[in-house]
Amino acid sequence: MCARVSGLAAATLFVCATGFGAECPPQALTPQEAATRLKQLDAAAQSEMRQRQYAEAVRDYREASCLAPDSAPVLYGLGVAEAASGDFLAARKSLALADHLQPSNVLPLAMLVRVNFSMGDIESLKATLRDAARRFPTDGSLHAGLAEFLVQNKLFDLALAESLRARTASGGNAGSRMELAVLENTVGAYDDAIRNAVGVERQAGLPEAVRASAAGVAGLSYESTGQREDAIAHLREAIRLDPLQENSYLALAFLFEKAQRYGDAVDILQEGRRKLPRSTALLLPLGSNLVRTEQYQAGIEVLRDLLRQSPDEPDAYLRMADAYRKTDRPKQEAGILRELAQRKADYPMIHLLIARAMLNADPADFPAVLEELSLAEKSAPSDAGVLYLRGKTYAALNRYDESAAVLERAIELNPMDASPYYQLALVYKKLGKVEQARQALGRMLVVKGNGSQPESRGVN
Amino acid sequence: MTRRQLFLLSGAGAILPSALSASEAQNLAYPLREIQGTLTSPDLFFVRDHFSEPQLSLETWQLRIEGRVAHPYQLGFSDLLELPSKKVEAVLECSGNAANGSAASNGIWEGVPISYLLEPAGIDREAAFIAFEGADTGRLFQNSPSLAYAQLVPLEKCLDASSLVAFKLNDLYLPRRNGFPARALFPGWYAMDSVKWVRRIMVLNSGDRQCGFYQSGMDRVYNRVVRTDDGPRITRLSAIQVKSVIAWPSDKMNLPAGRHLVWGFAWSGGGAIREVAVSIDGGRTWNPAQVQTSTDRFRWARWSYAWNPSPGDYVMMSRATDSQGSQQPVQRDKTRKDIYELNWCAPLQCNVR
Repeated sequence: MCARVSGLAAATLFVCATGFGAECPPQALTPQEAATRLKQLDAAAQSEMRQRQYAEAVRDYREASCLAPDSAPVLYGLGVAEAASGDFLAARKSLALADHLQPSNVLPLAMLVRVNFSMGDIESLKATLRDAARRFPTDGSLHAGLAEFLVQNKLFDLALAESLRARTASGGNAGSRMELAVLENTVGAYDDAIRNAVGVERQAGLPEAVRASAAGVAGLSYESTGQREDAIAHLREAIRLDPLQENSYLALAFLFEKAQRYGDAVDILQEGRRKLPRSTALLLPLGSNLVRTEQYQAGIEVLRDLLRQSPDEPDAYLRMADAYRKTDRPKQEAGILRELAQRKADYPMIHLLIARAMLNADPADFPAVLEELSLAEKSAPSDAGVLYLRGKTYAALNRYDESAAVLERAIELNPMDASPYYQLALVYKKLGKVEQARQALGRMLVVKGNGSQPESRGVN
Repeated sequence: MTRRQLFLLSGAGAILPSALSASEAQNLAYPLREIQGTLTSPDLFFVRDHFSEPQLSLETWQLRIEGRVAHPYQLGFSDLLELPSKKVEAVLECSGNAANGSAASNGIWEGVPISYLLEPAGIDREAAFIAFEGADTGRLFQNSPSLAYAQLVPLEKCLDASSLVAFKLNDLYLPRRNGFPARALFPGWYAMDSVKWVRRIMVLNSGDRQCGFYQSGMDRVYNRVVRTDDGPRITRLSAIQVKSVIAWPSDKMNLPAGRHLVWGFAWSGGGAIREVAVSIDGGRTWNPAQVQTSTDRFRWARWSYAWNPSPGDYVMMSRATDSQGSQQPVQRDKTRKDIYELNWCAPLQCNVR
């Protein structure tokens, strides 16, 4: 390990030592009086801390530090009080001095980590962690505690570092081992994650909820290494160990979806719904998979149930629209999309989706479609898809010249989409422009001839 | 909790094909046209292995710093994460990438400057090179011993503030196939020096020969060989030569007549890209392309060219110039006798109907 000495700590100590001397008034107390006063101040400050009177606690600890400038506990107390009162700069000085006076104590360092975090000073935080690693390499509980703090504050890289230190130092308890497994799975150390997670999963003496979480992490890590059957087995074990963990059903269903085993996804989500009837998280994947397995009406009912409980779920509206489209119910499709538009007016291309649904109605209300497309154009004035539908609608209204103009513009915007060429050919035919119709069809064949080549981005 | 939240929390977001480990050396590249913006996503990053990917554990991974140093030491992954780190956006290109090839990628790398790692070791005054050794092992040639992949990099390049031991790519930990948990990174240089799965940094004097780089035969590859009247002149590859490629359209593609946006990327180890020109007549005439310029010298630039062709057959090329004035050659230098630095303007056929 790199044995770098923290320059910051040394500089801080210097500032700190000179600072305290300047703030202390001259003392006229006898040693006995000073000891009594110190005891009083300490008791008062502790009581003030309990009552969250941090400014008062700082005042008393400061007086105490003047009486006992070499007392690490007093300086530690002062640092904690200063941190609690929001004076992080002062807290950092007090804690650094406490650490210097009693280097065998881990508390000032642990508190310094928190203070540096509160100051947003990540480089100093890292320096403190390196200091802790150098001086307390075998203190597993210190590193596990730091890891927990760092996870809570979403500093996952540093949390991983401290979790690894905790594991190296003492093997770690089940909780810290689980935390490490989750972090390892997140960063891609799947073999490590599997080893740690399976180790926890197999500890029969642990609460089943903890073992279930471990089995879940193992399942996800196995999936990431391409061992899907192992992944499924561990996620099933997670469900067996704790049938009330919603995440296990969701994760297993997700794996089934990836494997395109939509029926299995439906089964596991329905099992989850039986065990957790109040869960809303299960409803979207359940509804979506019911639609995928062509159980349209059941899917619509589940999604409708979700929207009753949680109406701000755009995907639920879209899945329902999908189900209506696949069952040839364009009015209902447009209706549910309008509900989404009312709920989220800025949902991307919502008016294009509504217009498309309306065009599928028989008979279609073409003026209403054009109104809807005007709304779509307000948010996306140069969208080839909107222009294509407008061209199609104009054609249906026998407004062929306007149709040709917007279809030409759609092609300009997205020259590698075959659909507008075909529509344009039909329009040119209606206009009696046979050569142009033939040319448009020829270009459509050119585009289609490229197979799965991606579309180019046209020039605006 | 939504499923998205669940998978972000539990790390299932990392379930990518790229995460899968391989038992054999991999050689992967993806069409550049699939890149959105300027960053190559980790699942589209090219891969060139010499040996099979090693299976490394975060809990046991160590990086040793030794050789001509006063204080050899080793550090673990925790130490690396807790050291001051920096981010550098840089292209990596395989030195054997074809003129129109896609074995080049651009990403934001995060890691610890190598100079910072060397400082506490106290390098010898006579130090001239550093050998970087990966955890992947094998035989480079049939008759060479099975050794770790190793490269030798001049000390000056190692001490550049942008040279890193990197552990992240685009804010995600390195995919296993791109060097997880840590790799060397030398922005502006061909990728073979950015040793993946790095586990050893060995400081060498100019006369030192006792390292895997020589023993494996690595000194016999990745060399520029130029024919001269006095015989072949051999020099080591280093900085990436200025280059541009057309990402769209692809070769032999049929296009409908109309307006199209031709686009691609350009990069150079010698400096930021200053301009890109496009030819649609096989290099007879050149037209300026729009370049998303940047002062960041190691990243690539995305360029585009608005083209409105009539029906016909076209031969397209792109040509980049960097801030140092280096320009892509239209043809391969005929004196070159090696298979590297293939940076000439590759022609691409396009049929417009």
